[in-house]
Amino acid sequence: MTTLKAQSMTVQAPPEPKSQLLNSGKCGMLCLIVSEIAFFGTLLAVYLFYIGKDPVGTIAPSDVLDVSVAPMKVVFNSIFLLTSSIWITLAVRCLARGNIMGFALWWLLTILFGAEFLVGTGMEWYGLIAVEGLTIRTNLFGSGFFTVVGFHAAHVTIGLFLLSLVFVLTCLGKMHKRHAEKVELLSWYWHFVDGIWIAVFTIVYILGN
Amino acid sequence: MAPDDHSNSKQQGIDLPAPTSAPFVCAFGVTLIFSGIVTNWAVSILGFVLALVGAIRWWHEVLPDNQKECIPFQSERPIVKPKVGGVAHLMTADSPHRARLPMEIHPYGAGIKGGIAGGIVMAIIAGTWGVVSHGSVWYPVNILGSTILPTMQGDDAAQLAQWHTASFVFGILIHAIMSSLVGLLYGIILPMVPHFRLAFSAIAIPLMWTGLTWASLEVINPLLQNEINWLVFIGSQVGFGITCWFVVSRSERIGTMQNWSMLERIGVESPNVPPIGGDE
Amino acid sequence: MTALDHSGNPLRAKATFLGRMHEWVSTADHKKLGVMYVTTGLLFFLIGGLEATMMRWQLAVPDSSLLSPSDFNRLFTMHGTTMVFLVGMPILLGVANYIIPMQIGARDLAFPRLNAFGFWLFLFGGLLLYFSYFGAQGLYGMGSSPDVGWFAYAPLTERTYSRGHSTDYWILGLLVSSFGSIATGINLITTILTMRCPGMTLMKMPVMVWVMLIDAILIMIAMPPLAAAQVMLLFDRLMGAHFFDVQGGGSAILWQNLFWFFGHPEVYILILPAFAYVSEIIPVFCRKVIFGYPLMVAATVSIGFISLGVWVHHLFALGLSPMVNTIFMGSTMLIAIPTGLKMFNWVGTMIGGKIRFDTPMLFSTGFLALFLIGGLTGVMLSVVPFDWQVSDSYFVVGHFHYVLFGGLVFAIFAAIYYWFPKVTGKMLSETLGKWQFWLLFIGFNLTFGPMHVSGMLGMPRRIYTYHADRGWELWNMLSSIGVLVQIAGVTFFVWNVIQSLRKGKDAGADPWDGWTLEWATTSPPPEYNFEEIPKVYSCRPLWDLKHPEDPDWKYE
Ligand code: HEM
Ligand SMILES: [Cu+2]
Repeated sequence: MTTLKAQSMTVQAPPEPKSQLLNSGKCGMLCLIVSEIAFFGTLLAVYLFYIGKDPVGTIAPSDVLDVSVAPMKVVFNSIFLLTSSIWITLAVRCLARGNIMGFALWWLLTILFGAEFLVGTGMEWYGLIAVEGLTIRTNLFGSGFFTVVGFHAAHVTIGLFLLSLVFVLTCLGKMHKRHAEKVELLSWYWHFVDGIWIAVFTIVYILGN
Repeated sequence: MAPDDHSNSKQQGIDLPAPTSAPFVCAFGVTLIFSGIVTNWAVSILGFVLALVGAIRWWHEVLPDNQKECIPFQSERPIVKPKVGGVAHLMTADSPHRARLPMEIHPYGAGIKGGIAGGIVMAIIAGTWGVVSHGSVWYPVNILGSTILPTMQGDDAAQLAQWHTASFVFGILIHAIMSSLVGLLYGIILPMVPHFRLAFSAIAIPLMWTGLTWASLEVINPLLQNEINWLVFIGSQVGFGITCWFVVSRSERIGTMQNWSMLERIGVESPNVPPIGGDE
Repeated sequence: MTALDHSGNPLRAKATFLGRMHEWVSTADHKKLGVMYVTTGLLFFLIGGLEATMMRWQLAVPDSSLLSPSDFNRLFTMHGTTMVFLVGMPILLGVANYIIPMQIGARDLAFPRLNAFGFWLFLFGGLLLYFSYFGAQGLYGMGSSPDVGWFAYAPLTERTYSRGHSTDYWILGLLVSSFGSIATGINLITTILTMRCPGMTLMKMPVMVWVMLIDAILIMIAMPPLAAAQVMLLFDRLMGAHFFDVQGGGSAILWQNLFWFFGHPEVYILILPAFAYVSEIIPVFCRKVIFGYPLMVAATVSIGFISLGVWVHHLFALGLSPMVNTIFMGSTMLIAIPTGLKMFNWVGTMIGGKIRFDTPMLFSTGFLALFLIGGLTGVMLSVVPFDWQVSDSYFVVGHFHYVLFGGLVFAIFAAIYYWFPKVTGKMLSETLGKWQFWLLFIGFNLTFGPMHVSGMLGMPRRIYTYHADRGWELWNMLSSIGVLVQIAGVTFFVWNVIQSLRKGKDAGADPWDGWTLEWATTSPPPEYNFEEIPKVYSCRPLWDLKHPEDPDWKYE
């Protein structure tokens, strides 16, 4: 291309072009999040559509999910998940400043809080399935509940797996300041998982009753 | 994954992402996981293991940094050469290209006037035909009225020759509206017809209109098909066309904004004032 | 494929067969992946065509008993699914893969390994779907391939009505391959948004890049809902959930809404690339800059938006409220406006141009004619009372084949003739190409034109045979004869590709005197595309270089 540039220059120099700045990692992660939102949006729309469509007599959301009856279970868990978003932000900041130790600590805290949420969900499910007798085949509520909450839990699990991977790498001393950007992308995913939980919580636990 | 940085590290080549079978293995694993659902759980297990192997390899490729392979420059280098010979430019608005836009038009009122005049001529022709063939002026009026009056749709020729108040009112109304609308259309179209405007109004349009009526009559009122004398029908259309053409073409023409500049059309400048900065 | 192999490259292992296989399997190069996408897409095209031929053979005469009713059901299901997901999608992704990075002056997509991952997911998903022919025996020894239609309406897909695993194969095969499509879609968006060469602002991108950006955005938004719906269906079938199980309170109508919420954007995902190709080809072969570039962009964006809000036109016959029907009738008609605008822009580009009717241009012109007809029947169908009359009849089959075959497939052939020289360094034969075009054009109209008539005469789609007394015989016979002509056309194409690969004329870097950056490098391009990342100053960087005395950037 060198030759041609010279040739075009001889006639009249066009204005020097500017280059772009947007970063591919961020753009890709945003796109991933948008498509995930489309996925969860569909599940949640179906859940909304089926609210109250079960025949009376089968287990209804108000029988088992009423937040005012059992606040400790879900609200407690939610607080754990949502606050983990704060810890991960702090962790990324530490890494960006080169404070690996601080990064490792906040990161570990994030993982622990996320894990607590997962355990909480597991216990809730155990209660619903074993005690209340609600399964995915019971009725529309069961189908919707386990699908929506299950997919969310699956995303939390994937997130935790990736977070742990980074943690292991940190312990092996392989994480450095220059990885702050990759790690930040992971934190975006984690924020998304939290954000979706707000939507799930609102629809399943509040509107659904 | 972070973007791959395509920098030009050494002068004799370019760094590109190194080939890797990780995506292949990982994708195969993922597929097997799903296949297990319809075959055997063991397939899913195998798939999971493969997917994990693929993923770990993949991470090794990109973590902590992306793996690169240096591709040496190839000997052949493409050159885009300037072309000899000038560049032709399309003709611009000054020499209109295949577009025939009327620079002057007849006022819309002239079209309506022509339509009304033509409508009267048409009514006279049709009325005469009614008297001659069925002994009644009302016959053509009733034919028109019966297209929208459901009560009259089964009437035979004898009934159509009698006086019907409703049919008269509606018949005249339809005729008046249609005549003025068609007249308006004439008034708009005529300035755009390049040649033979009389033939256009007196032959082409009447024939087209008759064809349209003939074809759509089956939908509008199938029983009417035997009641209409198509020759007279065409005759009355021709009468309309000639009259309408006569009235319209005698009217005074007014200029359009077609040759005004954009600024003039927006109203920022008035026409006939030379545009700022000479001609463009 | 040999032509693509840059032998003489000292770093590469010797090109043994295995070595070369390994090179293709482990590649992350957008050009190799693009070629693999298009090649597999074309192979599936032959398979899907075979299925269609069998159906037309069965329907050629009334009361035919060549195929059993259940075989017929499997054929139309596999035909539709194959053509949409395994032909349309891979080819559009493949061409984008190959061409987009070159047009924006980049060396690869933003995520090359993810790109490879997407391709392999697509391929394995397709193979999984076809594996159903052997593996779907399932519980009761029933079924082989899926037989529920490409839109798989509930409750036909529920356990009660679809025993065995055939429907599961449909779900899983598509699920896997749609993951691949979403990944590649995201990859394309990121590439276009972040990897343009210096100077290429959004409004200096070639039209194709704009259109593929919108296309990828549609993929990103519309495919996940299908995945969600399919997952719910899978839960119904495997775990006894009740989403679409009408006996358990589930809603069949919900499935229809979910499917078409994906389905209509999907048809636009398929047609937008066709718009992209002809928008590149027509200007080059008319020697004029594209007419109305900003309008073209605006029309593309608004098509993207509107296509997300028209899906109910597939449900007009469902008995929804008149209010809903009217609203969606309006939105459906609305989409014809930007689409029509594009038609005018292409024609506007042709007017006054120095048109060269080489094969790519021939196919593009064919596209204009046929897509116009398909668009017009589409507008007819958007009128609710008319749709009630012909919904689910051969008229609809005629409509969507005019847009998908006459539109997409003709544009794909145009694109193949246009870019084959770039990809392989060899020209395709013009003579064979013209034969192919005319055979395909005539055969296509012979097959799908009469379908409008048989549909108006009341022939429902998806029936495996019909009685002789309906007055449909002639039209069906014509349709079936048309297929033979089309087969002849496709044979010319296959022959042309084989011949040209072996002893085609050398193409040189820029056989068509093109204006976008892919023509600024050798054919086939080196792995790094451009030795030095180009700088651009206008929509037509090569024009600027070829005509330094009158460059485009002076006008933009
Ligand atoms: C001018 C724009 C278009 C309009 C107004 C339109 C309208 C419609 C309507 C109303 C239907 C439903 C017919 C019925 O099932 O009763 C339909 C079906 C269909 N259209 Fe279009 N369409 C347009 C363009 C397209 C394009 C560009 C494509 C694809 C490239 C397409 C592909 C299809 C397909 C595949 C079906 C049938 C789906 C099925 O039932 O299997 N249409 N169209
Ligand atoms: Cu549609």
